Amino acid sequence: MVSNRRKPGKLKQWFNQWLNSRLPAATKVTLAHRSVFILPSGFGLLWLTLVLLLFLFGTNYQNNLVIGLSLLLLSVFNTCIIYSYRNLAGMTISSTLSPQAYAGDTLVFPVRLYASQPQYEVLLNYPNNQIKVIKKVTNEASTSLIPFINERRGRVSPGRLKIESRYPLGLCRAWSHVDLDNEHIVYAAPLEANERLSHLDSEQDYVADDQGGHIPGVDEFKGLRQHIPGESLKQVAWKQLAQGRGMLTKEFQQPQGEPQWLSLTDFSPTSLESRLSQLTHSVDRLSEKGQIFGLQLGERTIQPADGEAHRISCLQALALVPAKPETRT
Amino acid sequence: MSSEHSEIISRHSLLWLLLANVAILLPLYEKLTPWTMAICGICLLWRLGIFIGKVAKPPRYLVTLLALGSAITLALIINSIGLLNGLINLLVLGYALKYIEMRKRRDVRTVVLVGYFLIALTFINQQSIIYTLILGLVTTINTCVLVSLYHEGNKLKETALMGSKLIIQSLPLAALLFIVLPKLPPLWMVPQNSSATTGLSDQVSFGDIEKLTRSASLAFRAEFDRSPPTNHLLYWRALVMEDYNGKVWTQHKSIKQIEKDVQFTVSGRARPLGNPVNYSVIAEPSYQNWLYGLDVAFSDDSNISNLPDYRLYAKRSVDQQYRYRVQSYLKSPMSPVLDDKVKQINLSLPEASNLKTQAFANQLMQEYPDPLQRLNALMNYFNQGDYFYTLSPPRVGPQQIDDFLFENKAGFCVHYASAFTFIARKTGIPTRLVTGYQGGEWNQQAGYLSVYQYMAHAWAEVWLEGKGWVRFDPTAMIAPQRVLEGFDAIFQPESSYLLDSPFSPLRLREFPLLNKLRLSLASMDYYWSVWVLGFDSNKQQRVLQKLLGGVTKQKMSLFMLIAISLIGLTIAYSAGLLTFRQRGEQHATKYTQICNKLSGKGLERRLDEGPLDYGKRVELAMPSLANEFALFTQYYIALKYQPLTKEGQKKISKLFLRLFKQIKKKL
Repeated sequence: MVSNRRKPGKLKQWFNQWLNSRLPAATKVTLAHRSVFILPSGFGLLWLTLVLLLFLFGTNYQNNLVIGLSLLLLSVFNTCIIYSYRNLAGMTISSTLSPQAYAGDTLVFPVRLYASQPQYEVLLNYPNNQIKVIKKVTNEASTSLIPFINERRGRVSPGRLKIESRYPLGLCRAWSHVDLDNEHIVYAAPLEANERLSHLDSEQDYVADDQGGHIPGVDEFKGLRQHIPGESLKQVAWKQLAQGRGMLTKEFQQPQGEPQWLSLTDFSPTSLESRLSQLTHSVDRLSEKGQIFGLQLGERTIQPADGEAHRISCLQALALVPAKPETRT
Repeated sequence: MSSEHSEIISRHSLLWLLLANVAILLPLYEKLTPWTMAICGICLLWRLGIFIGKVAKPPRYLVTLLALGSAITLALIINSIGLLNGLINLLVLGYALKYIEMRKRRDVRTVVLVGYFLIALTFINQQSIIYTLILGLVTTINTCVLVSLYHEGNKLKETALMGSKLIIQSLPLAALLFIVLPKLPPLWMVPQNSSATTGLSDQVSFGDIEKLTRSASLAFRAEFDRSPPTNHLLYWRALVMEDYNGKVWTQHKSIKQIEKDVQFTVSGRARPLGNPVNYSVIAEPSYQNWLYGLDVAFSDDSNISNLPDYRLYAKRSVDQQYRYRVQSYLKSPMSPVLDDKVKQINLSLPEASNLKTQAFANQLMQEYPDPLQRLNALMNYFNQGDYFYTLSPPRVGPQQIDDFLFENKAGFCVHYASAFTFIARKTGIPTRLVTGYQGGEWNQQAGYLSVYQYMAHAWAEVWLEGKGWVRFDPTAMIAPQRVLEGFDAIFQPESSYLLDSPFSPLRLREFPLLNKLRLSLASMDYYWSVWVLGFDSNKQQRVLQKLLGGVTKQKMSLFMLIAISLIGLTIAYSAGLLTFRQRGEQHATKYTQICNKLSGKGLERRLDEGPLDYGKRVELAMPSLANEFALFTQYYIALKYQPLTKEGQKKISKLFLRLFKQIKKKL
């Protein structure tokens, strides 16, 4: 659901500053009276209208029981304020490492939640993003993935996570905005390379030995490891999943061969973003095939290597290239 | 805004809705037209079908059609059922139809809010303790519907627990507000609740009172400021009948007119002189306007008119329990001077009726020229003659009084009073028939008088020069105990007021112990009427006075502040928000206490010293304490640092405290 509530610039700034001082960013936050806000919901206001209506009704008919009912409902509203606070207070929220993601993907930020006493129907979302509903938070920590739509590459911070609850009767909205300090580096969106590296995409295995070889049998994987939620589905070992062994990710065997160099200058002078995207794609392809490669990014050079760590450092380097091209060829 | 996320109503909520629907509509059954009931039934069945999965949701047009149809039907019959009933039915229909076409959470909320309103409407007619408890339960069920929206996948019991918790924890604040909030008079006129009238009627024929003697329901209760008058003085006047057409006694039209205009006129009768008997009457709903009072009754209540025929008349019909103050001037005369017109009215008789009785009257007149003597002779005549007092008198023909007086010689109070009035009028004495209640059951525990419908009575009032209207009760001549000791002294309850009500609590009278229980319950009901239903600004003042001793603004606000924070803390505590002492904290203070005592003896614990090291030092320095202190230290460490089960914790804590006491003693 999209928010159409935008505060005017200055006010919003002030509000954010105030929030930052009140609720500083931290990877682990326990909600308490400082961090929980409560206001009546629309239904709560309707409820109060009913209370008033019943009171008038009881007064006009001089019926003490009707007046009593209206006061009881008023009192229930009061009780609900306490309970709606209780439904958030004591909840501990912590961020864990997010899975890799490319620009344009919907990011997911894993959030671990637990509470000393059960809390019901807690809604989590980042501003302007889809809401995640957690039916029950217990003292056993559970991880939820909070979606965040993102188009940009580079360091992406989802902003403050909104935690909201209307339990127990929907009369009050209790909420909090926590900054879980979970900035995430988003890789550039991969774009199929059509230039010099296009052969990488071909299915032939025996092309260009001089470009850093790879031995046959690349598709034999090194092993399986636990799938990280949110990871690309391309590498999931579906067969094993079907066998009931759970979500596993294939890791490929390390090949041998001469290093291949990837560089920003490999591409015709298209836009920087498109070149970065193509490089990202190439890095993925090479890593997938287990090839050894190096990366040349203007002043920065990443020495040839292979493996997941190498891939990540390459992709991160690509993601963090400043948007403005450097004056170097 | 992130208001709604999952709009589907869970089965859990649907189940609660079914429960709430039945619970809310059942207590309202009296108010519903057969039409409304039928539609509610259909909706409920349909919903049940949806719940079980046999039927699909009804199409929109069908619901709209039903709604239109029922609204039109209601509009057609609204005149016969009254505006308020019409509105109730409309609301119920809306409730039922909305209920069936609910799709989203928002619809559920609407249904719940309307549900609360329907509960409030039920309170208009049902105000007994039992009903209040039932409706309290219904309120809880309705609240559970809302809880269930957030309790998907939970058990029914958990939701019920949460709902009841919310209601119960809200009760104290509600009670406080009820006591403290000002009691306002009605702000504007509202449509009145109409229902079949109960109790006395504004016309009396031979059969009428007899019907009432079959009713064991309460007519009203009275609480006297001092001790109540004895039974034979308890003539509760309600209606005065001045017109007789040979069959039926009715009120005179001039009085009827005054009753009609009572809204717009100021009460006309002056306050009688003398020492009054002060009391309050709590009238049960009769849907009539007349009230009850002992002669000569006068009320200062602005909603009551003191009519010229010495009756009390409510400006609005009594459609719920109504409590009013009355002063009765028992010795004050009624109309010492009588208007000629009124005199004529009270002398007129239908022509050529009851000729035998008329002849008897003429004969009486010749024998006793003095009016008072004549009346006494007439009373004696009833006493001496073989007249019989019965609740099931034989039938009479068109010449009613002749048949009764000379043929059947058996009748009920109306028969005797009618005959008496007829004869007295014929002999030239202005006389009228009065109906009301006679007697009352005294509740010793709570100190009030209950008057039941079966105590309905009729008697005569005679106007005597210089004395005004004087009460003559011929029934007292035939059955003196009826008046002296009350209705129950004469009749078997089983053959009268219990005949038609097999479950009346009055049946328990025969069993002393159970009767005591019955009276206790009746007292409870009485206190309920006085302190809850009749809680008005006077009572409020009294309660606050008692609670605070002089109501000032400061005292009031302080009282509210304390009460509200106490209530808030209690709720917060029971919600698990406050935890008073951390585990082990209590033990730490005890331990420090001992350490402080020891340091007084020169064995100070250094800041960097752990309990173990310190313990060793103490053991060396004070051998007499060595064993105990070693154990004490061990327990302390266990309590503070070891993960213990709850039972283990309890056990060690106990031992620790025992040692604490021992060591303290030795030190």
